[in-house]
Amino acid sequence: MIDQRLYEEFRDIGRDIYLGGLTSSHGGNISVRVGNRIIIKRRGAQLGRLKPEDFIETGLYTKDSGITRASTELIVHRAIYLKTSALAVIHCHPRTAIALSLSREEIIPIDNEGSYLLHKVPVVTAEYASGSQEMADTVAEVLRGYKMIMLRGHGCFAAGQTLEEAFHWVSALEEVSDIILEAHLLGEERIEYRRNPEAYKKW
Amino acid sequence: MEGWAGKILDIDLGNGAIQSYPLDTEMKRLFLGGRGLGGRLLWDCVGSSVDPFSPENVLIFAAGPLTASGAQTTNRFTVSTKSPLTGTILDDNSGGWWGMQFKRTGYDALIVRGKATSPVTVEITPEGVSLKDATHLWGKTVFETTEALGQNNNRRNVLCIGPAGEKLVRIASIMNDGTRALARGGAGAVMGSKNLKAIVVEGNQKNTAKDQELFKFMLYETGKLIKASPITSQAFPEFGTAVMMNVLNEIGALPTRNFQSSQFEQAEKISGERMTETILVKNKACWACPIACTRYTKTDKAEGEGPEFETTWSFGAQCGIDQLDVIAEANYLCNDLGLDTISAGNTIGCAMELAERGIISSELRFGRADLLHDTIRDMAYRRGLGDEMAEGSYRFAAQHGAVEYSMSAKKLELPAYDPRGMQGQGLLFATSNRGGCHMRGNMLGPEVLALPRLVDRFATQGKAGIVAVHQNEAAVVDSLVVCRFTDIAVSVEYFARFLTAVGGIKFTADDLMKVGERVWNLERLYNLREGFTRTDDTLPERLLKEPVQSGPSKGFVVKLEPMLEEYYQFRGWDTHGVPTKAKLKELELDTLSSNGQ
Repeated sequence: MIDQRLYEEFRDIGRDIYLGGLTSSHGGNISVRVGNRIIIKRRGAQLGRLKPEDFIETGLYTKDSGITRASTELIVHRAIYLKTSALAVIHCHPRTAIALSLSREEIIPIDNEGSYLLHKVPVVTAEYASGSQEMADTVAEVLRGYKMIMLRGHGCFAAGQTLEEAFHWVSALEEVSDIILEAHLLGEERIEYRRNPEAYKKW
Repeated sequence: MEGWAGKILDIDLGNGAIQSYPLDTEMKRLFLGGRGLGGRLLWDCVGSSVDPFSPENVLIFAAGPLTASGAQTTNRFTVSTKSPLTGTILDDNSGGWWGMQFKRTGYDALIVRGKATSPVTVEITPEGVSLKDATHLWGKTVFETTEALGQNNNRRNVLCIGPAGEKLVRIASIMNDGTRALARGGAGAVMGSKNLKAIVVEGNQKNTAKDQELFKFMLYETGKLIKASPITSQAFPEFGTAVMMNVLNEIGALPTRNFQSSQFEQAEKISGERMTETILVKNKACWACPIACTRYTKTDKAEGEGPEFETTWSFGAQCGIDQLDVIAEANYLCNDLGLDTISAGNTIGCAMELAERGIISSELRFGRADLLHDTIRDMAYRRGLGDEMAEGSYRFAAQHGAVEYSMSAKKLELPAYDPRGMQGQGLLFATSNRGGCHMRGNMLGPEVLALPRLVDRFATQGKAGIVAVHQNEAAVVDSLVVCRFTDIAVSVEYFARFLTAVGGIKFTADDLMKVGERVWNLERLYNLREGFTRTDDTLPERLLKEPVQSGPSKGFVVKLEPMLEEYYQFRGWDTHGVPTKAKLKELELDTLSSNGQ
């Protein structure tokens, strides 16, 4: 059973993700690690309208009947917790970042704030849209070295110590991506203001 | 063959006549195969005056257009007959290998009529169809018979009955490939009444998709979704269907001690998780199945396949028994004797309550695991109290003036869901054409697992439409015939494309849903012709009047009447539950009517 304070954090972050246009009505999923358990949104619950009964508690190290109702992406969340020090994970579908992922191997911010926060977001290809062990292992491995990862044409996974921290990375990524897009649409020659912009590619 | 073999085999055991004739093209379009085809053929073969145990009843074994095509889980087949337990139309379906092998013999359906003068076996091979003496097999168990007739999963497959079918036990199953069951409604007893011990099949024909490119694409796309679903890719392979034990217990929908409560305090001990930790040896798969939900288990005393969730519940929570090894052994025993595990466990739970209330004189009590196996044997061999229980819980309880303790609908024992905690499931049980059954469109999906979306399980308004749509979808899947677990991962639009690819006839998702509605209405007409009325669309009094005493479903009973009213309206039936002429015309069933015309 989820306690009231944690529930309120899930509810508020979930609402912000949805209202921020970072996922569709029933897309995306969020979780936290609590000891050797995972609390995760149930499959099909609306991120923007989470209720106390919309959470499933299941094992971190061992699977149990919770997997019948948990988010389809539970397998990825579990892999992230097992391979990294993350305590909270957000998966959602930021649309501009998804658009950029279709033509890039990585998303490198061009704005100052984004450069400082994210440096670089790797983009990986997974054949299966969701739920595969192959994808889970890839995502978890990348998140050992990065705050977040983009799945090409699908969405992002962000890890943090809290849901709020992970949400920060997600919202920053979409802001970064919007700026890249809008700068591109302007079509004007950019004036580099950073000392060593090429270094971000090696981040 | 491409989808359909185009032939029906017809055997009269009374005079030994064997004939085959073409499958009507309109039958394909309107009823597909499996349950739909079986039901339509049964309509013509078995009228309302026929005693289910008489030679005039028939058994119709049917494959579907997708059977043996190699699409995921297309190993299944159905049997249709008039049920000796319920008096309704009955169909069962089963997996394993037999269905695939039967289709490869080159027939879409096999009709078995009449009664042999002595026990026989039907054998269908590339060399021909023959009847063989089975006197030496009569009295043998399912495992003995299956082995004696040369079961070989890839080449030769055996379907048979055990002692329960021979003894006309009304809850006897037909078993195929040793451990797979056409379980419910007493089809095994109909087979016994015909002196038919077994049907052996060897095939060499192939069901090859006409449009290979589309077929391969659909294999790929379906495989992706089966792999992506946590239920089909993780929960069922790792824990089997008993993974549902803890889920239903947690929400207060696990019937306990003959539905006296809806939570079992020892559920964890009989859960899928505990099974995996303790007695599981390996998981197994039916032909062409990537899910592999079958358990192969071993206790200190025995080993074998199962138990499934429903069985773990029926001998577990329903009987107040928390010893998983005893439950698994009860499952092996039922398979060997040819008994439906749901009805057997449910009926034993009923007897336990009658004994505790002093209505019958018996040592049976909830939790008496030590009596379980002998009670099952007594039912299968019709010994002592077991002879009465072999009639099923309804007749058994009625005989003792206590029919209210039979947890059944239309005399078919209810499975592992307390509908007071799942209102839609209550409507589904009450309106099911073969009686209290969870395989006629399980509301577990929308009411618990959020498949495709979560609905309020305590709500009643608006529930009827969801129930009806799920019933129609189940009827389609059972007519194709595909495993219902595939239906968890993919929707009907996938099956429509598979059927288009295999059969070469364009089907849309809506076309298929219309077939499902047609099959459901055909079955309804059959039951109306048998004299069933609106009053039969009901549930045990306990579920309608006794609120759950504790847990998440506390205070609830099934609010059936308003849902039933809405259900008839949604279905286009009148207030008596009879399909209107307009509905029958829409479904191209207007040439049939419930008065037998």
